[in-house]
Amino acid sequence: MIIITRPHITDAELDHIREKIESVGMRTHVSRGEHRTVIGCIGDESLLAEVPLKQLPGVESVMPVLKPYRLASREFVAAPTVVRVGDARGAAFGGRDIATIAGPCSVENRAMLRDTAIAVRSAGASVLRGGAFKPRTSPYSFQGLGVEALKMLAEVRAEVGLPVVTEVMDTRQIDIVAAHADMLQIGARNMQNFSLLAEVGRVQRPVLLKRGLSATINELLMAAEYIMSHGNREVVLCERGIRTFENATRNTLDVSAIPVLKRETHLPVIVDPSHAGGDADLVAPLAFAAIAAGADGLIIEVHPDPENALSDGDQSLSHEAFATVMQRLRPFAHAAGRGMPTGVSAGVAA
Amino acid sequence: MTSEPGGGRREAGAAPTDALARCRKEIERIDADIVRLLADRVRIGREIGSLKKAAGRPTIDPAREAEVIRRASELARDAGLLDEPVRAIFWQVIGLSRRAQVDE
Repeated sequence: MIIITRPHITDAELDHIREKIESVGMRTHVSRGEHRTVIGCIGDESLLAEVPLKQLPGVESVMPVLKPYRLASREFVAAPTVVRVGDARGAAFGGRDIATIAGPCSVENRAMLRDTAIAVRSAGASVLRGGAFKPRTSPYSFQGLGVEALKMLAEVRAEVGLPVVTEVMDTRQIDIVAAHADMLQIGARNMQNFSLLAEVGRVQRPVLLKRGLSATINELLMAAEYIMSHGNREVVLCERGIRTFENATRNTLDVSAIPVLKRETHLPVIVDPSHAGGDADLVAPLAFAAIAAGADGLIIEVHPDPENALSDGDQSLSHEAFATVMQRLRPFAHAAGRGMPTGVSAGVAA
Repeated sequence: MTSEPGGGRREAGAAPTDALARCRKEIERIDADIVRLLADRVRIGREIGSLKKAAGRPTIDPAREAEVIRRASELARDAGLLDEPVRAIFWQVIGLSRRAQVDE
């Protein structure tokens, strides 16, 4: 249920409406627009059956919410949400500029991470990625360096000045990951790990939520709703390819998910062309398509020596290839009415 | 909560550092007060819980909670604070008392 208020509602009227709703055991969420204020009711709506909402002073109209998600929905929050990562010099997802996350699939050692951070920063990336805990399909594959990798990420962030994002796979890792990283990633395989979603919902760090391999757009938004309903409203959604019958590519990038998500939600939407195609040659065309379709950003795997990467070498770009993709992306961003930040190349951050 | 990564600290001259240390001491004192007051609140909540039980009334009272939240929003605005974050804090505070009453 959402309640649209009359223009210029007073604080006291707003308080009164919210108290009425909360007194039956529901919660409220208020989105203040320039002209109207929208009050979203959260909880079991049958509780409101006896409350004469339309009679309350300040109420203009009462409408049912047809979507199962509330906090993530455009009906609740009309203006696009901008999610900021890192400090003032960090990245902004959902603003005018395209924001790019880049870095190795997994952190292998400090030198490769530092070199990659410098390279991607100078090419225009605004966040460094790097896996510490890796969810691999096979238990025999490289599983990541864990806490050692988190320390390296924090050191390289301090030195190079790029905020970092890394995956958290388990509720037990949240505190340690949040202590080292600026943004927490929920991987595709954990998109419906509801206890993990609830826990990252309680943390004061933006969350990068990747769409599950076989998850519908609705399920992705419900996963975001889980995080948001626990208090954390800073969620960035990521389309990373879905499983289809097609086996020429690792996954199929669902380009149509981008405009559908932009229509349904106020949350920023980014695209992972590396995992979607599973092939370095596909990264550029898929990235162009993503930006043309309205994505707010990209997450791209970059490795100093893709041939010898410990994971995902086939889909990683070399430093040079990444710089080329970022250059070629510019006209697509401009055509879509977006800007691209320029790279920072001289030295390391002060 | 964890420390802020990316938040650089800049050392200035001796005088601002002293002032900073003083302010931090003050913050620590206020934090201790807040926690002590929360403990007082939970203690009284427990008392209310047993009184309600004795009177055969349900422990959870959404109407009273809504009243507490409305009052907190008013107080917040009067004190020059944003009401929305204060409401969120008070839902957590209510949660503390709720848990204490239910655990009784």
